[in-house]
Amino acid sequence: MLQTLLEPKMILTILLMGTIVYITYLTKKSSTASDYFVGGRSFGWFTNGSAIGGDYLSAATFLGIAGLTFQLGYDGAYYAFCFSIGLTLLAIFVAGPLRRFGAYTVADFLAYRFHSKRARLAAVAVVLAISGFYAAPQLLGAAQILSMFFGTTYEFGIIFTCTVMVFYVGIGGMKGTTINQALELWIRLGAFVLMAAAAVYGGLHYDRILAAINEFHGSIAGTAQFAKDGKDVAFDGASWTGTGHYFPTFWQTISMTIGLSLGTIGLPHILLRFYTNPSAKAARKSALMAIGIASVFFFFAVYLGAVGRAVFLSGSASPEVMKDLVAGGNNMVIPSTAQALGGEWLLGLVIAGAFAAIFSNLSGLFIASSGALAHDLYATFMRKNITERERVIAGKVAIVILAFLYGALGLMVKTASIGHLVALAFTVAASTFTPIFILGIWWRGMTEKGAIAGLVIGLAVSMFMIFCSSMLPAFLQFKVPGLITVPVGFLSVYIVSKLDRKVPADVNDFMRKVHSKESEAA
Amino acid sequence: MAAEFTEYEYVAAGTVDVSQLEPLDKETTRIMRDEMSTGSKLTIFYYVFIFMIPILNWHASGFMFSRMWGGMTYTWFVTGIVAMAMAFIIAYVHTSLYEKRLHKYQGSTGTPSTHSEGRNIG
Repeated sequence: MLQTLLEPKMILTILLMGTIVYITYLTKKSSTASDYFVGGRSFGWFTNGSAIGGDYLSAATFLGIAGLTFQLGYDGAYYAFCFSIGLTLLAIFVAGPLRRFGAYTVADFLAYRFHSKRARLAAVAVVLAISGFYAAPQLLGAAQILSMFFGTTYEFGIIFTCTVMVFYVGIGGMKGTTINQALELWIRLGAFVLMAAAAVYGGLHYDRILAAINEFHGSIAGTAQFAKDGKDVAFDGASWTGTGHYFPTFWQTISMTIGLSLGTIGLPHILLRFYTNPSAKAARKSALMAIGIASVFFFFAVYLGAVGRAVFLSGSASPEVMKDLVAGGNNMVIPSTAQALGGEWLLGLVIAGAFAAIFSNLSGLFIASSGALAHDLYATFMRKNITERERVIAGKVAIVILAFLYGALGLMVKTASIGHLVALAFTVAASTFTPIFILGIWWRGMTEKGAIAGLVIGLAVSMFMIFCSSMLPAFLQFKVPGLITVPVGFLSVYIVSKLDRKVPADVNDFMRKVHSKESEAA
Repeated sequence: MAAEFTEYEYVAAGTVDVSQLEPLDKETTRIMRDEMSTGSKLTIFYYVFIFMIPILNWHASGFMFSRMWGGMTYTWFVTGIVAMAMAFIIAYVHTSLYEKRLHKYQGSTGTPSTHSEGRNIG
């Protein structure tokens, strides 16, 4: 028992948990809804930028992108490229206006734009759908790490992570969540930098490992004992460094590019972060900082995925690592590679970093979803004249409900790829909220019916193309169906608005509000 | 401080046909036009770069998958390294241009505009 507690992975994970508990305790006082849902809008651009990065760079980045690169080669690296685009577009078109609007939730934007409860209700449904899609792979990552490195069952991993979230978000609210997310981002970045340094120190230079992988063709020695079929794993380096294997056609690639690049603008937990800035200027600076951090992260994720593949092919790793890489699925490449590069301490730091990634992102999803349930649904539709204190309590009760909901989803995706599941969440976001926010901020002609039609049709079409693609003809079956669903989302809003023509009489006030210079001096 | 959201009743402001809508004031129109113009140009430039990668991968694969140095191919270099830097460069240029425009607006109008009337938002 004592020996287990003294293992680096255990020490560093306990340290991380202790830090989370301490920060949550320090920030537990949320007296107002503004404190609880948007952290009192009291954080500067550095903290917010770190927190946006923490929110955005989820397990999909820390574990999934490297895993996809390890598994798919160039096509996996292309995923990282597509993920890296979205924050920039968000900074250009949405960040400043959204903060100038200054609300608590994503649904507030629609409700206020149209004075409409129906629009708010449609937005809540979409927030929960996107967040659920996004939360499931994060829980999958947490459960797999706990299972692989701490010997727990998958189900325990889901329950444990949901319990941590109830404590973390329920007690700390947005204040605790923001500080924790900012801190956790730097833990992850530190882990990646140390891993990259260890790889370079070990002679695993980028150009050399790509050359070695490209030239490898045949069976990987030492893998038969861990493979289910008892045979050495076969690998073709030339196809790994090429394209057209995972995305078999040009249009499949374009479809993913559209879905992922526009998805970030529609992610509720990222949009929410821009409300927590004290000013629009701080919102833009936060976005810029988050983009810089994200770019560095994606670069490292792709490089370390290639390093993982090189380590695996060389057979130089310990049997334990080889077993993990064969049996662990692509999601566990980063921890296994860390163990091969730097032993137990680096593995410990990476495991702590992986938990940090998962907790960061999940907390953002939980706080965005609790806002949708407590502020948008309960306080608007069920309880008139709700007090500030009751609104905060409702938010905390919502966290518990969400823990059960997302936990159930986590149990359903045991064998999925984290990176690909998140890509699908991006597609739903790109087909629903992205058209609403871009057109709602920049086009006075958007009507309430157009917005609701866009949300409903975008959600329905993207869900259908993800879950029922086999019912479609072959040329319409996309791994990431952004090519179809994103234009459908935009066109739904545009066409219905053009037919409806009934815009809010005070839409000019709204435009003045979100495009004013008022907050720039702040 | 940016404006603070306050609760409001769902009192419909009423609707008007889009053709009956009053034109926006000059200042807001100018801000929106400038911002959209800059954003669109940067986005078009960015998407030309973005789509250039798969187009070249599929239609000039011989060149894109040839080696630059060691095992690093042109396409891996652009996708895995240059594109990451490009995301930041585009955002940085956008922010810099915005700050410049802001100085220009404040120079031309003196004080920043106050918040809009007509909606009960604090």
